[in-house]
Amino acid sequence: MLEMIFLVPFIIGITAFFLPRTINRLLLVLTGMVHLFLSVAIWVNSPAAFFPAFFAVSPEGTLSLLVISLLFFLISVYTLTYIKETPIPKEKIFIGFLLLFLSTMSMATLSDHIMVLWIAIEATTLASAPLIYTHHTVSALEATWKYVLICSVGIAMALLGSILLSVSLDAGKVNAAISFSGLVAVAQSLDPRWLKAGFVFILVGYGTKMGLAPMHTWLPDAHSEAPSPVSALLSGVLLNCAYLGIFKTSKIMHAAGLSDFSGPILIIFGLISIIGAATFILRQTEYKRMLAYSSIENMGIIAVGTGIGGFAAYGAIICLIHHSLIKSSLFLTSGNILLGSGTRLIEKVNGLANRAPKNFVAFFGGFIAISGFPPFGLFLGKVIILITALKAGHFIAAGIFIFSLCVIFAGLANSVMRMSFHPADPSLPKNIPEHIGLLWPQYTLLAASIILCFWMPASLQETLVQAASTIGGGF
Amino acid sequence: MIHPVDTMLALALLSILFSFGSSRLPSLIKVVGFQGIVVCIVPLFLGHGLSPESVVFSIAALCIRGILIPVCIYVAIRKAAITREVKPIVGFHASIFFGLILMVGATMASHRFDVAADHISRLFLPTAISLLGAGMFLLMARRNAIAMVLGYMVLENGIYLVGCAFSQRVSHITEFGILLDILAGVMIMAVILRNMKTTFNDLDTDRLRTLKE
Repeated sequence: MLEMIFLVPFIIGITAFFLPRTINRLLLVLTGMVHLFLSVAIWVNSPAAFFPAFFAVSPEGTLSLLVISLLFFLISVYTLTYIKETPIPKEKIFIGFLLLFLSTMSMATLSDHIMVLWIAIEATTLASAPLIYTHHTVSALEATWKYVLICSVGIAMALLGSILLSVSLDAGKVNAAISFSGLVAVAQSLDPRWLKAGFVFILVGYGTKMGLAPMHTWLPDAHSEAPSPVSALLSGVLLNCAYLGIFKTSKIMHAAGLSDFSGPILIIFGLISIIGAATFILRQTEYKRMLAYSSIENMGIIAVGTGIGGFAAYGAIICLIHHSLIKSSLFLTSGNILLGSGTRLIEKVNGLANRAPKNFVAFFGGFIAISGFPPFGLFLGKVIILITALKAGHFIAAGIFIFSLCVIFAGLANSVMRMSFHPADPSLPKNIPEHIGLLWPQYTLLAASIILCFWMPASLQETLVQAASTIGGGF
Repeated sequence: MIHPVDTMLALALLSILFSFGSSRLPSLIKVVGFQGIVVCIVPLFLGHGLSPESVVFSIAALCIRGILIPVCIYVAIRKAAITREVKPIVGFHASIFFGLILMVGATMASHRFDVAADHISRLFLPTAISLLGAGMFLLMARRNAIAMVLGYMVLENGIYLVGCAFSQRVSHITEFGILLDILAGVMIMAVILRNMKTTFNDLDTDRLRTLKE
């Protein structure tokens, strides 16, 4: 039964509110393992749903689900050591909501019904809001408030868009289910005016959640104020869930022959996000916020890839997977740096290469990876998008893309070099303690990105091509 | 004869003007609660045939939108004796004037659409669009965090009406899921409001300006 994948963490999450601390910690990792196992089972067997009107397996959903599972498992292992190092107030609630968050994200990946996807994505906001407020500080309160309000209002727009999609069915006098697969099947008969209006509202709505500029304002605050394992989850997988909503709607637009309308809008939003990120990264003073802006940049790149369509859509999905792996690794390492140095300010973290060499390798490796250098997979995705953009004649977009990427690299390099190699103040402790339990998840994630760049299992490759081909991608 | 739906929608439009003119939070909460009740009753008069299922759903929606959510916000703020005045960014008179312009604009805009529910009431779409605009306006033009949550509720009421006006395809199960999400969302916002109150002793969103860039 397909629904097990979100029901299991949901039920365990609810029970976690009432269980003692030690059992909860064990449950967290166990659920991560079971979830990973179930995801692989879904990928291999594609089981039927108990409620086929609401849930179904789709290639893009399966890919996201696999990424969510892998990341959650590694992050849960990291969290186990993390909460021993830094006490978390109300740990029961923290673990309970982590599991509910996992459940809602899994539900989003498997939703086929338009409204169920909306319900799941709004539920991810609600399940993650208490996680951002974990440390009960004034700034965390502000970040949570912005997150809940901006995302709720944004996603309300997506609800309006979803209603308009169902109107396009009525206006086109078609009788089909209001599910993504149903709409794709009858896309040619849908009323194009309502479809276009629905797409715009859905893009604005889910785009807010995905962190596309100019609706991104909640993202740097939430990512920087949340505890690092939560930041890693927010950046690594939550943004993907929102992207799924946009991707699935783009599928309908493509099937309806309206990619000429949806493509340029996606490209424009993507480019604004990349330019916005470039502007803010240059003058960033906090490293977690810097990483958050880098997420906005990558979501922009993915939106551009999806907008160009064709082979670039394949590149966008590669970027999506590798961004999840790399960015969550970076956020976890930034958590270690924060634990060791006690500050979020870039200028106060110096000499990382000498003071914390293992964390330095993970952080610097992550920086190389996120900047799009080989041998990490993001390189592949960016090159594919760029080449397709040039081939399709999007010269101005490609120019802005390359220029912004250079600026972002310069900004990131400046801060990372300062943190890594600038001589440390003598008053600072010479060594930052490094715990192996807080390191191997990051190394695993980075290694996964390298391996997937050179060798991808045939079945995974097939799923990827299937997903991309729905918006004209693939080979 | 005036159709009952017309009366309901006229009341919803009036509630927009009242909400724009309310300077005190308790009355603003009551107006939005009233608006929620009106909006939930409308589908019962649309003549789609009253199945027991739709009656039960309407009552559930009415309880959540009209009673549970306002009570939840009210209880969250009552315990901490808060300043009961709404600090506006746009003044109350200007807000009411804007409300009137909004309604005129919404009526003009709605002529461009061909709506399924038009044969019952021509006020349907103007009201829905006005509610959407009013929600956005309250979100932007009020400094008080509670007024912003209420603005969000007005926006959701508008979307609900759009759904009623245009499409009857959405099943009650998914509608109920949406409603539960909204309820949970408002509850979480209410918890944040309480924390804001205990931290700042105020609900002025001007205080939430430490995180920049």
